[in-house]
Amino acid sequence: MSQTKRFLAVTVAAVTALGMVGACSKETAGTKPAADGQINLVVDTFGDFGYKALVAQYQKDHPNVKVELRSVQKLDDYKPKLTQYLAAGTGAGDVVALEEGILNEFKTQPQNFVNLLDHGAADQQANFLPWKWELGKAGADGPLIGLGTDVGGLAVCYRKDLFAKAGLPTDRDAVSKLWPGWDEFISTGKKFTAASTGAKGFVDSVTTSFSAMLSQAGETNFYDRDNKLIADSNPVVKQAWDTSMKMVSEGISAKVPTWSKDWEAGFKNGSFAVTMCPSWMLGIIKTNSGAANTGKWDVAAVPGGGGNWGGSWLAVPAQSKHPKEAYELAKFLTTPESHVGAFKEAGPLPSSPKALDDPAFLALTNDYFSNAPVGKIFGEGAKSLKPVVLGPKHQAVKERAFEPAMQAVEQGKLTSDKAWQQALKTAVKEAK
Amino acid sequence: MRAASIRLWRTSPATYLALVVGCVISIFPIYWMVVVATRSNDVINDVPPPLLPGGELGANVGRVFANEHAAFAYGLVNSLVVSSVVTLSVVFFSTLAGFAFAKLRFRGRNAMLLIIVATMMVPVQLGLIPLYMLMVKIGWNGSLQAVIVPFLVSGFGVFMMRQYAAEAISDELVEAARVDGCSTFRIYWNVVLPVLRPAAAVLGLLTFMQTWNEFIWPYAVLDANTPTVQLSLSLLATAYYTDYAQVFAATALATLPLFAVFILFGRQIIGGIMEGSIKS
Amino acid sequence: MTSSSVVRSSAAARAAGDRVPWRSRLTRADVKFAPYFFIAPFFVLFAIFGAFPLVYTGWVSLHDWHLIGEHTFVGLGNYTALFADPDFWNALKNTVGIFVIATVPQLLLALMMANLLNRKIRGRTFFRMGVLIPNVTSVAAVGIVFGQLFARDVGLVNYLVTALGLDAVDWQANTWSSWIAIAVMVDWRWTGYNTLILLGAMQAISKDLFEAAELDGAAPRQQFWRITVPLLRPTLVFTVIISTIGGLQLFTEPVIFGNGRMLGGTLGQFQTVTMYMYETAFQRFQYGYGAAIAWSLFGLIVVFSLVNLLIVRRAAR
Repeated sequence: MSQTKRFLAVTVAAVTALGMVGACSKETAGTKPAADGQINLVVDTFGDFGYKALVAQYQKDHPNVKVELRSVQKLDDYKPKLTQYLAAGTGAGDVVALEEGILNEFKTQPQNFVNLLDHGAADQQANFLPWKWELGKAGADGPLIGLGTDVGGLAVCYRKDLFAKAGLPTDRDAVSKLWPGWDEFISTGKKFTAASTGAKGFVDSVTTSFSAMLSQAGETNFYDRDNKLIADSNPVVKQAWDTSMKMVSEGISAKVPTWSKDWEAGFKNGSFAVTMCPSWMLGIIKTNSGAANTGKWDVAAVPGGGGNWGGSWLAVPAQSKHPKEAYELAKFLTTPESHVGAFKEAGPLPSSPKALDDPAFLALTNDYFSNAPVGKIFGEGAKSLKPVVLGPKHQAVKERAFEPAMQAVEQGKLTSDKAWQQALKTAVKEAK
Repeated sequence: MRAASIRLWRTSPATYLALVVGCVISIFPIYWMVVVATRSNDVINDVPPPLLPGGELGANVGRVFANEHAAFAYGLVNSLVVSSVVTLSVVFFSTLAGFAFAKLRFRGRNAMLLIIVATMMVPVQLGLIPLYMLMVKIGWNGSLQAVIVPFLVSGFGVFMMRQYAAEAISDELVEAARVDGCSTFRIYWNVVLPVLRPAAAVLGLLTFMQTWNEFIWPYAVLDANTPTVQLSLSLLATAYYTDYAQVFAATALATLPLFAVFILFGRQIIGGIMEGSIKS
Repeated sequence: MTSSSVVRSSAAARAAGDRVPWRSRLTRADVKFAPYFFIAPFFVLFAIFGAFPLVYTGWVSLHDWHLIGEHTFVGLGNYTALFADPDFWNALKNTVGIFVIATVPQLLLALMMANLLNRKIRGRTFFRMGVLIPNVTSVAAVGIVFGQLFARDVGLVNYLVTALGLDAVDWQANTWSSWIAIAVMVDWRWTGYNTLILLGAMQAISKDLFEAAELDGAAPRQQFWRITVPLLRPTLVFTVIISTIGGLQLFTEPVIFGNGRMLGGTLGQFQTVTMYMYETAFQRFQYGYGAAIAWSLFGLIVVFSLVNLLIVRRAAR
């Protein structure tokens, strides 16, 4: 019966261990009941927003407020969990970060969030870039859902060594002058691909160029001001599409979809010479390219003048028990001073014009990218953007209708015309 | 050693060759994971990829444990508790119910077995939200019960043990024990359980692994204060990109307990042939 | 094994045992009710934690239900829409196709590996552990390794393909190539799992049967197909059903293969039903429609399992 005894012993041990579970949880603000007058606020973010020092300061200034920072590494994990909290009506933080893509989808259901204008947010408007402020609202006259944190100002990252091989200039100012507009960008690409450099193409893929063109257009994209889908009739969309398709037919695309393995490895192996890079992408390029390629990349201006990819907002879910205090915290975390503070701690690009003019920010260079003055380049790009009206399902239409259709053309699976029809058909489904 | 005389069980160099090939294919990715864990982050994009370990393991592991937010040590302890309790319970209740379905006669037996099998056919992804709402209602969200109690039984386990018991346990054996005056539970404990041991060990192993590697539900219902090990892994925050060296170092560490468990259960699985040949 | 001693002593006990009325009544109660006690824990826990989400999802499927918004009752509207939805049929075609090309080789391979592991080999634990390792490996690692294998420009497989003088394959772009790549991932992750389950059952087959066959001069191959396989039938049925359930709910591998996206390729060439369900409910926020997909998938799995059950029963006879 030794078998039985062993089984029992293990069971007892396991049950005892279960009893000690309490000892295995970290004790933090969120788990303890609040003392008299004490307010506990939870901030949900993904990645690193650079809020540790700011929160410590806020707690010092507000002794009755205790702030817990929760974060997960990946946006892909963060989004479904936040959705689940909202669907179940409980569990979300008092202040939650909404990335561009999530924000646009959540704006279709604004009742899940506190209208920050109700708490007097209107007086903050001057602190933000106009387009960043506009995107925080659900509709032109809708409620204000989010206060801007960072932006993903666009630039072009290019490989100096490959440019030199193709006989192109390598100095960043000269490179920026090569492509005032997208047509010049394409002709530069043709010059590059004509030379033998070992690269698969000039630019990694066309989808990011498409996004950049849309964000430069200003006014409207897939939706008009009344939230009607106009993807099929808006000349802005068709023109961006045609230019992108020209990039494919002229053979300057290396046809590696963003985030794929070929894309990641392509940085290190010189599969392409140019990629659209928002400020947060620099770290990714550095990681993917590796130490051996230090100094080979540089940063130039984006064709057509400025563009944006990514960036986040802070919102207060309607389920928060302390909406007023949560708003105060969100306001504090998005002041120009806090933008600079967060930037110094973790590097997200400010969306406040005042922060963008801060000398500390302007002086920023990146030694991996040949000491490029990234603060100046990205700051100017971000400031030159015009506000765009994005309809309720803008992100879905772009990422699930247009981008796959463009990639299908790159793969040689569809002709440009067929792909356009396919994109419009899917867009209708996504917009439903 | 009469077992050796059965030609089906004889080994030849070909046997070893096939096994070695199979194991190399199986093991390579985990070996490669260890390689990355011992190097700096950017080797992942080398073509061809590096195949030999480097010297950065200590630094990578150090970063894992230094990350206060991820609470990796808590995660390990919590996962050990959760997986052990779930495994013991699943093995116990599955062998018990599997035996009942295979060898005992009772009204509604087939219908109930069908229901159990059917429970496995439900796609789980959509059930997360209602289950989460339930946990909030009974106040278990954020505590370990939430990832233990719903998994104390498993349709998979019951079905597996039922199929196994149907073949492995002869009716005469059960009848004989019954006539000896054994209660049904005694029969289970003294007669059935020993026969089921190899399969129960397989079930235990699979259950432990599955519970250990479970991410979506713990992530949905727990938070950073009470993480399981997979949750800790996802909390290893970096700014915008994945620090693979750190993540793989942590993953390799998180895999170590599984090997310990395997050796523990592995001995039970080996039972069968060898033991039989010596005793009889 | 103690079976022989139990059988011997029971004959004597049989005569004595029947004569004691109170004891027999107790025994009868035990015989009658013990089975219910044995299976009760499953049903109790399932009723609490399994049935509620299931019924709730069914209720949701009868609504036009925005995940984080309003909902209105639409009856069976979601189901009629679903049967006319080309994207659903596309996903179903992909799911069944990948299931077939993944599962058949996988189970045969598992049977073979289990047979090899069921021998007197040195380093048993090592080999048994080895085959199961793919199932232990983290999804992140699997994604990176297979990304490395099936990449178009830098992938190892294409390196071999071009070395043979053939054109490099864009694995994600074509239907056939994406199905094969996913099937390889599935088989890599799950063959060892099934191997171990079959091995557990093989260990239980009485040695006497093989010894008798040996005396009759049966060749190893005959022993395997005439003794091992028929006696494994219940476990084979089990693995086939489990593979059917897992195969039709296929999710992780194609998502990894598609760089973490739910689209399943540019034209949905490898989007499975579960991916479509997830996309609908959690990315389009059409919770009601997603729930209808979930319930339809459930129905399909039931049908498929029954069909497979019949096939295996007939084949293993």
